[in-house]
Amino acid sequence: MAEESFLADEFLRQLMSVGEVDLLIGIPSYNNATTLGQTLQSVEESLRQNFVRERAVILNVDGGSADETRQIFVQSSDRRDVAHKGLTSLRTIHRISCEYDRSPSQGIALRNVVAAADLLRAKACAVVSPATANLTPSWVANLLRPVYREGLDFVAPLYVRSRFQGLLARDLLYPVSRAVFGQRIRELYSDEWGFSGRLASRCLEKDVWHEDAVRARPEAWMAITAAGAGLRCGQYFLGPKSAAPPGTGPDIVEAIRQTVGNFFWCMETNQAQWMTRSNSQPVATFGPDHELSLDGIPPSPEKIFDLFRSGVGELEPILASILTQDTHAQIKAIALSDRAKFRFAPELWVTTLYEFAASYHHAVLNRDHLVQALVPLYRGRLYSFLLENANTSAEAMEAQSEILCQEFERRKPYLVERWTAKS
Amino acid sequence: MKEVVLQGLRQAYGNLVHMFAEFLPRMLVMLVIVGIGLLVAYALKMILRAVLHVTRLDRLSEEAGASRFLRMAALPSMTELLSRSLFWVTWLGFILIGISVLGVAGLQEQISRLFLLLPAIFVAILILFLGLVTANFTSRAALLAAVNAGYPSPKLLSWSIRFVIWALAVSMALEQVGVARQTVIAAFSIVFGAFMFGMALAFGLGGKDLAREFLERNLTEKKKEKFHEPQPL
Repeated sequence: MAEESFLADEFLRQLMSVGEVDLLIGIPSYNNATTLGQTLQSVEESLRQNFVRERAVILNVDGGSADETRQIFVQSSDRRDVAHKGLTSLRTIHRISCEYDRSPSQGIALRNVVAAADLLRAKACAVVSPATANLTPSWVANLLRPVYREGLDFVAPLYVRSRFQGLLARDLLYPVSRAVFGQRIRELYSDEWGFSGRLASRCLEKDVWHEDAVRARPEAWMAITAAGAGLRCGQYFLGPKSAAPPGTGPDIVEAIRQTVGNFFWCMETNQAQWMTRSNSQPVATFGPDHELSLDGIPPSPEKIFDLFRSGVGELEPILASILTQDTHAQIKAIALSDRAKFRFAPELWVTTLYEFAASYHHAVLNRDHLVQALVPLYRGRLYSFLLENANTSAEAMEAQSEILCQEFERRKPYLVERWTAKS
Repeated sequence: MKEVVLQGLRQAYGNLVHMFAEFLPRMLVMLVIVGIGLLVAYALKMILRAVLHVTRLDRLSEEAGASRFLRMAALPSMTELLSRSLFWVTWLGFILIGISVLGVAGLQEQISRLFLLLPAIFVAILILFLGLVTANFTSRAALLAAVNAGYPSPKLLSWSIRFVIWALAVSMALEQVGVARQTVIAAFSIVFGAFMFGMALAFGLGGKDLAREFLERNLTEKKKEKFHEPQPL
């Protein structure tokens, strides 16, 4: 048992007292005292309603919360059977809480969850976040069911999105991940996902948990590991995901460092998996594979354009070392264009991203710095997107997104060429 | 008279033979030491080169921006530079030991002084290299952070950080080799003090509106008016 070396004695004792389980729900937390109660209620209700006969454990892995997160988890278990009415689970729903570190890390939290899943021989697992304001019992069931009943190994969520929400995922992460790894998983980076015990054991064996990329955002790596091992991936439509209040959650720089940095790292460590692959395949999808809502006010894009233009000017030497001369010249040219007529064309965006990925591989400069240098260019692309889609219908936006995905797939040989070129 | 001259010549010849008899073995010892030194230095160079290849120092140097400076100065890669330096330092050490075996009175003192200076020079070069790498890395990190956060004059900030670290590294290296120690410390204090004073004046007087705006934005209720980009994920 590899996990013995890092699991705390008390945590191991709790796990051993549980025995084997069918389902495991991991709740990573860090200062979530205000929302954890609601999350727990949803998880328990889901288990009571949908998995009456299954043995289940709810595992809270805390990153050293300064508030009362852990106490709330422990105390709520004392009064759990008093509040609910109606259908009751025939099995005891166990609860375990552990503190893994003095600093929060999704990767370390997940490592504890997969180690517990491996030890308890869980068949299906789900990770849910207490930060998700509108987590419902059906979400938990929909992440567990395809794994437990349909034999899938990784289940990503699908959400209803407002037109201007999740643009990093829609304009960068989904198209590039689809083109590179050939799996049409839309929400590769999310706060909720499901996975099998089999995948948990495979992930636990990997010696990558110390990597910054995995410590920050482990979920995409898990999906890529599943695909690489020939395991089945899918996605489940969960419904609308409420937008985080402005100013909360990671800002654009942090989000790009965590997700794009993680994705480039996954490309680097899984080269054999994607180099020869062409085109993409749909994955098992439960419910509609996308839904855009027209609500949401378009954000004011002027400041975004200013940040793009100043970024291209100030970072010129850095961009020159990452991009080819031609691509850099094109970006400098559009940065000087009239803001009302500005357009960051999909072709240029694809070329830019592929050259960034190849430069990451060749380590032309510190990799974290390289990823940060992408931020101004993403802002340029974002501004162009907002300008073009201020009054566009959801269908038209989806059609544009599909064109971008196809462009990424069509240009993949260019990525391979740059990737394999001698630096 | 003739006898005296012959005796003098015989004595001179005897001294010469005696000198050669004493010097030649020392010379031979010196040559052996230099030869062994060459082999040891070559072996150390190969070992260090292999170790540095395994630890991927060149990639690290490339990432930190140090390789770019080496290329600009027409120097080889970091691995090659360090392994060649070790070769020469080691062999030079052996050559100096060999020369000291010759027993030439005037050279002894100079050699021992040079020996004392060698580690200091090596440490000074190391300090300069680390200073260069740190300055590049930190100034680039500051530039990226300032540009992405939309702060004004990011290049000024980046160059200021680079300058301070360079100045610190150069003064530390000079102090290490003992070159005009007092002057270096005084010069560094003056330059650093003047720089910080100039920055304070520039920010306080030249940029008082900017300073006010900065403080208001960060310390008062206006902080809530911060620009928010669309939710990325």
